[in-house]
Amino acid sequence: MTYKVTEEGNISTVHLDGEIDMDVTEKAKEVIMPLIEAKKEVHLNLKEVQYMDSSGISVLIESHQKAMELGTKVTLKEISKSVLKVIMMAKLEQILNLD
Amino acid sequence: MEQSHIANVDEKRDFEVNSSNLKHVRSFCREVFERLNINQELKDELVLAIAEAAQNIVKHAYNNEQTEDKMEIKISVSDGHLEIGFFDKGRPVEKDKIRHRKIDDIKPGGLGTFFIQQIMDAVVFKEGEKPWINHLILSKNLNN
Repeated sequence: MTYKVTEEGNISTVHLDGEIDMDVTEKAKEVIMPLIEAKKEVHLNLKEVQYMDSSGISVLIESHQKAMELGTKVTLKEISKSVLKVIMMAKLEQILNLD
Repeated sequence: MEQSHIANVDEKRDFEVNSSNLKHVRSFCREVFERLNINQELKDELVLAIAEAAQNIVKHAYNNEQTEDKMEIKISVSDGHLEIGFFDKGRPVEKDKIRHRKIDDIKPGGLGTFFIQQIMDAVVFKEGEKPWINHLILSKNLNN
């Protein structure tokens, strides 16, 4: 997994790329969580994520819940077909913010 | 009996038990499934189910601790019936404790087993024959 972060005003966009599994979840959290803790609105761009498993889904849930707790928001952007399928399999499409 | 249009397969491979090998598990599955006349969506689902089961071995049978142990994954297809065997030498599986979290209980974790059950027709835990401790079998009829 690789990533790039771009900033625009109070919105930080994290562009994730590659496959997100248990091996890279800590790295993903290390990128995403400090932005949420800084009360940024976070956009996760998932266009280039070709594979995500339950560990990756856990990162999305954790990020969403942490943002709600701190009064900010995480939005999933340009979700790839394969990631959307896993989100729907987990029945999270009504819970997470999908755009 | 009608003959299946899906090729017969019998492949197995060993992987060191650690999270950095999960990508190699997926590559192995993709290689094998490439030979099967099934749609891409189903191939992706099967790769996910296998990777989740392998992840459970790393996480639960070995507590994500460093080990030199290997797990073996065996993929067989015969007359359109897919069977995937997982063999490991980790902590014995406590079958009664295996359950996925309630799907409406939104919290991180506990989804892997749910995905496996959604994708596969059957999930069976067996005691492994020596030298193995655990033997998990996932199966699915690919003719449907």
